[in-house]
Amino acid sequence: MIELAEVYKGFTVRDRKTRQKKRIEAVRGVSFSVHPGEIYGLLGPNGAGKSTTLRLIAGLMQAERGLIRVGGFDAGREPEAARACVGYLSGDLNVYGRFTPREFLRLFGQFQGMQARVAEGRALALLERLGLLDFMDVRMEGFSTGQKQKVSVARALLHDPRVVVFDEPTTGLDVLTAKTVLDLLRELRAEGRAVIVSTHVMPMVEDICDRVGILFDGVLYGDAPLDQLLAARHARNLDEVFFQLAGEA
Amino acid sequence: MNGALLVCKKEFLELSKDRRTVFFTFLLPLVLYPLLFAMVGGLSRTDEANRQGRASRVVLVDPGGVLTSALKAEPESFELVAPPAGDLRQAIRDQRLEMKIQVEADAPLKLSRHRTFTVTAACDPSEEASGLALTRLRKILEKQNRRWVEERLRLAGVSPELDRPSRLETQEMGDLGLKVGRTLGAFLPYLLMLMMFAGSMQHGIYATAGEKERGTLLSLLSTRLPRHQIIWGKLLYVFAVGLLSAFINLLSMGVSIGSVVRAGAEGQAMSAGSLADLARPSTLGLTFLLMAPLGLLFANFIVMMGIRARNSVEAGTSIMPGMVVVLVMAVFSMAPGLEKLAFLPYVPILNVSLAIRKLFSQQGNAFEFWVALLMTLGLAAVMTWLSTRLLNRETSVFTV
Repeated sequence: MIELAEVYKGFTVRDRKTRQKKRIEAVRGVSFSVHPGEIYGLLGPNGAGKSTTLRLIAGLMQAERGLIRVGGFDAGREPEAARACVGYLSGDLNVYGRFTPREFLRLFGQFQGMQARVAEGRALALLERLGLLDFMDVRMEGFSTGQKQKVSVARALLHDPRVVVFDEPTTGLDVLTAKTVLDLLRELRAEGRAVIVSTHVMPMVEDICDRVGILFDGVLYGDAPLDQLLAARHARNLDEVFFQLAGEA
Repeated sequence: MNGALLVCKKEFLELSKDRRTVFFTFLLPLVLYPLLFAMVGGLSRTDEANRQGRASRVVLVDPGGVLTSALKAEPESFELVAPPAGDLRQAIRDQRLEMKIQVEADAPLKLSRHRTFTVTAACDPSEEASGLALTRLRKILEKQNRRWVEERLRLAGVSPELDRPSRLETQEMGDLGLKVGRTLGAFLPYLLMLMMFAGSMQHGIYATAGEKERGTLLSLLSTRLPRHQIIWGKLLYVFAVGLLSAFINLLSMGVSIGSVVRAGAEGQAMSAGSLADLARPSTLGLTFLLMAPLGLLFANFIVMMGIRARNSVEAGTSIMPGMVVVLVMAVFSMAPGLEKLAFLPYVPILNVSLAIRKLFSQQGNAFEFWVALLMTLGLAAVMTWLSTRLLNRETSVFTV
């Protein structure tokens, strides 16, 4: 469902002191795949290339080299078709504050090619699942971070995507809201969707992820089921694996 | 194209949710101009009526009495008052009187000997009432002089027309409709350009740099909508808001100054034909045809700068110089004699002004019209292509 083969992505930045252009390799030869009914946890320190990898999968960025296939589509050649299969959520994303959740989701459903009526029906179901039904006709500008994140989750899942890409979905959320999101991820897995999640929260990965990949400086380490990873590293938990790999990297 | 319309719809929906912005963009101009013009017009009319309706208070020193009867014969223009106590200058400044008229003591003698006598008017023309008194005195003296000259000529047994060998009579061949058209043609492009640019600028920034700043642009980009349709939707929105804003402002201004033009037109020749030419659907339609691509060009510039900018402030400061350029060009386009410059039809923006000017003064030139239209369309197309490319650049969307 998600397939990355030898993917490279870099950026050119300007050093503010020397005014020289500098090349940053954000993703270096990353290969892995996520199958239907699987949650893949992508770990790594800040700046390791997690968000870039997820943006490449979501079709927001183009890889410089390598192949990315999402839902059977080549994300480089058919970005729109690939994006149509993906439900993308990131902590950076926000909602339109002047809209109510109902209006916002109906509009995004239309952006995803759904009929307004169909989109609204699906939106209501998702809002009910996320416990936001009472707020569906309230303008979102006064919403809390958790409420906004729930609406964003509904937005990402509105078009019934086969591939779910969540970039740090629980950052800034309280325990209850985070649990709602995690439960939803489990449901998505049960429904046979391919889910990839990036996070810093190790217990969350141990709790819900089937496979784990750890990125350091754009290079992927690990990429194995959690129990295999722990066994291969003689580690008691993911934290230990993480620190071992950090030392090697 | 459906995606572009959806994005445009989203922008308008978002705008409609902000009642204050809707009020200030679309409703305030409808109320503001009529109110402003009514207030200023009312004040100036009241002031004018007060001044014209009141007799000028003058101190007349006329020992020979040559002017006294003439001034007294026009009580609606002159009110003879006693000399003020103290300084005359201060009395005029304090508006206790408007003027002091001093006639030479031997005026009757000079008059009888066919010589010139002097009338001295002490006034302050910088004070409107005092200036009006002087004008009234000039008029009355002119009439009185004419009477005295005719009397002298009659006594000499000569025709009263001796001192008037010829008389000039003018026949107004111009047409007020055409005059209004020329003035309108000079001002209209300036107003349209300015209003289109200013009216769409903030909305363009909100829809581009604002979306980036608020973190909503990525949501939009993560949908299946092709990038070019997203940018076209935003362009369509900025363009439509600019046009709407310009139209509403002009409509309101037009209605407000209509009364002024009508008042000025009283008693002047204005053929129904030339007035109809001014408001002819083809003139208005061709003007719209010229302004539409120009509006698209402005919308493109605003959207391009907005997408390139990292935040709204940066977008605002980078768009502002563009507005200054448009402003300078628009002001330049009003300069008289501009149409004689041979290169002008090939200068973007200015050629649109020139073509509209000629349309309204009924001197339309098909070649210049098409050059202006095609050139602006071409520029708008190039800018649209650039904007689309810019949105596809990852560095425009993501801060690395």
